[in-house]
Amino acid sequence: MAVPSPKQTDIIAATGLDRLRDQVQQVTAGVDEITRVANEVHEGTDAQTRSLDIAVSVANEMSASMDNTTTQSSSIAASAEELASSVNETGASIQQISVSADSLASAVNEMAASMEETSRSIESVTGTAHEMATSAEEVTSAMHEVAASIKSVSQDTEALTSSVNETAASMEEVARSIEGLSGNADQLNVAAEETASSINEMAASIEEVSAMSQNLATSVEEIASSIEEMARSVQGVAQNTEKVTEAAAGASVSANEMDRSLRSVAGMTSRAEEIATRLTREAEEGGAAAQKTIQGFGRVRGSMEQSAVVIREMGKRSGEISGIVNTINIIAERTNMLSLNASIEAARAGDAGRGFAVVAEEIRNLADRSAQATADISAIINGLQEVVQEAVAAANEGVRVAEESGRMAEEGSSGLQKMLTGIGETAQIVRQINRATEEQLTAAANVVTAIETTASQTKQISTAVVEQSKGAQEIVKATAHIRKTAKEISQANLEQSRGAREIVKTAKSTTVVANQLRKATGEQSIAANQIATTIESMRRGAVTTSRALEEQAIAGEQVSKEAERLARQISGVTRAMSEQARAASEVASATQSIRQQSAQIAKAVGEQGRAMSNMTVATNNVSKEITFVARSNRDHLNGAQQIQQMLKEIREITERNARGVRQTLTGSSGLRENALQVGTVIEELSQSANDNETKLTGSGQRNNGRSRRPRNGSKKLDGDHVRVFSDETSESQKE
Amino acid sequence: MLESTETNSEPFILLELAGTTYGVRSRFVQQMEMIEKITSVPNAAPSVEGVVLARGQVIPAVNLRVRFGFERIPFDLRSRLVVIKNGKRTIGLIVDTAREFINLSLGAIEPPPDAIRGLSGKYLEGIATIDGRIILVLNLDEVIELDTQINEDGAGVIA
Repeated sequence: MAVPSPKQTDIIAATGLDRLRDQVQQVTAGVDEITRVANEVHEGTDAQTRSLDIAVSVANEMSASMDNTTTQSSSIAASAEELASSVNETGASIQQISVSADSLASAVNEMAASMEETSRSIESVTGTAHEMATSAEEVTSAMHEVAASIKSVSQDTEALTSSVNETAASMEEVARSIEGLSGNADQLNVAAEETASSINEMAASIEEVSAMSQNLATSVEEIASSIEEMARSVQGVAQNTEKVTEAAAGASVSANEMDRSLRSVAGMTSRAEEIATRLTREAEEGGAAAQKTIQGFGRVRGSMEQSAVVIREMGKRSGEISGIVNTINIIAERTNMLSLNASIEAARAGDAGRGFAVVAEEIRNLADRSAQATADISAIINGLQEVVQEAVAAANEGVRVAEESGRMAEEGSSGLQKMLTGIGETAQIVRQINRATEEQLTAAANVVTAIETTASQTKQISTAVVEQSKGAQEIVKATAHIRKTAKEISQANLEQSRGAREIVKTAKSTTVVANQLRKATGEQSIAANQIATTIESMRRGAVTTSRALEEQAIAGEQVSKEAERLARQISGVTRAMSEQARAASEVASATQSIRQQSAQIAKAVGEQGRAMSNMTVATNNVSKEITFVARSNRDHLNGAQQIQQMLKEIREITERNARGVRQTLTGSSGLRENALQVGTVIEELSQSANDNETKLTGSGQRNNGRSRRPRNGSKKLDGDHVRVFSDETSESQKE
Repeated sequence: MLESTETNSEPFILLELAGTTYGVRSRFVQQMEMIEKITSVPNAAPSVEGVVLARGQVIPAVNLRVRFGFERIPFDLRSRLVVIKNGKRTIGLIVDTAREFINLSLGAIEPPPDAIRGLSGKYLEGIATIDGRIILVLNLDEVIELDTQINEDGAGVIA
């Protein structure tokens, strides 16, 4: 190794190539994986698309069938509506039938009446015909002798002809009637079938009627029990009404008493009002008097105080008097003393002083009396002063009492004031009471009249209730009867139901018989035609014979023939008349039975009408339900269409998925190609690296001639690594 | 002057003292006074209230109640000072009252009973009854005399 640096570079390039090759290998593997998965996805989307196609087609089918269903249910609805309308029409026609059955019944009635009249007139014609017949017989007997020979031949021939004619005619009639009968038999057949169906309906309606009559029976039971209760309650009402009557009488009496007492109350209240008014006045006066009393008490107190002052003054004065009396007493004493002194002096004077002594004596007496008087006065004044003290105390007490009295009088006055207001209120209340009592009086009068009216009405009610009670009892009886009848009706309805079932059976057999009858009448018709042909030839023969005989008898037996014919016609008329009469009576009876039947038909038609109306209701319900069904079908259809739409969208999404998968596939295959190209490039690189190595080492190895063009920026690679890589690349290419 | 020229009756002043009536001969009574002002004198006998001025004359006032051994009572309007003049002596006797002047028959005066002769009897001249009233007639000489003999007060009575 002379140059070590390029070798190192080679080693580095070989290592990078090695890594690149690994990565390419990984990429290729990943692309393969993607391709595989994309394939799976593609298959899955294909399968999904297929199943979605199936689902869409199924949804389409469903939608179509829904559509169908919707149209069918719409048509059902329409037909149900048509059915309902036709049922309505049927009901209307049944009602018309009912009406026409009613009119038929009436017409039949009229016909019966006219038939009876006809019968009567036929009888009268028969009577006149009998008379005519007798006269004709007389004519005939007269004419018999004239044309005996002619008559014998003519009669025979005539009879033959006529009988042949009649036979022919009757045969034709028979044939016609057989044909008619055949037609009738057809109609009968049809009618029998219709009858069978209507009998079925009738049977059903009879079943319903039976159920309804059982309901009726139960409700009749309930009604009966409630009527019995009502009867009981009516009896109770009757008893109560009697009590009410008594109570009303009592109330009337007590109302009268109340009226009287109210009147007395009114009188008393008006008196009370007067008294209250007077009392008010007197209380006002009393208030004024109390006011005056209060003032008087004030004055009493003042005068008491004044009198106390006066009494004290008097006491003072009596003290002064006492002083004066004392002075007088002193004077009296001194006078007494002086008179004694005078007496002593007079005694000393002897006889000369004797007169003086007398005077002194008198003076002394006076002085003594004065002293006595002053002593009395003193005593009096002492007593007076005690009295004055007492008087002053009493006056003070009087002042106190006067004050108290004034206070009490004021209290009394305020109480009186309260009393006044109370009396005023009392007066007002009494006035109100008075007014109320007057109103009560009028009201009481009204009450009395009302109670009297009530009493009389209650009596009427009582009688009415008694009648009601009777009526209720009768109703109870009648109800019991009705109950029985209802049970019987129920029973009868059940029987009718059974009978109706039998009738249904019978109607079926009738239909069979009618068919047979039709067949038989067809055969009869044929036979009758044959007979008619035979009779026609017979008639032709008879006509020829008759013509010959007529020519023979023309001349001589004109009259006879006429008479004969007359008689015969008359007798025929008579016979025909009696037959007519019989027929008329038969017709009458038949009309009668027709009338009954038409009435029954009318009834049955009515029931049919009811059944029809029930059916109408049911049909309407059906129509409604069908309409609901149609609507829900339409909703379903809408849902289905939405489902379809969603399925279509899912399908589109799936298709888009498929497209994406295809694109993925395309991309992955392109990626794979690119990877392969990368592998090729790497190989070429490896080759060129090897070449380089060979050049460097001098032993070139050109084992790979596939590398054609080295790329720009291609790296120099280590030979070992390139070899390995090329092996791996070839392996991957093989893959 | 002591013996009356009258036949057998003599005027008397009647005094009241502690509910008893005493009689004093009018001729010994100079005058009578209301008791107004008594001027007390020192060392006087218990019965001597003092001296009074009567008609210009100072005379002793003797409380007769004390003199007779009765209790004192306060003076009032009825109290009297009876001025007695016996001979030369003048004395005032304070009595409860003196209001009557009567002529008493001398025959009606009886000597005091023996039972009350002693001290009481010395003051009494006699006892007179008039209209059922008992009048003790005073022996003025003794009353005055006793009055003058101040120091003999109790002993004289016992003797």
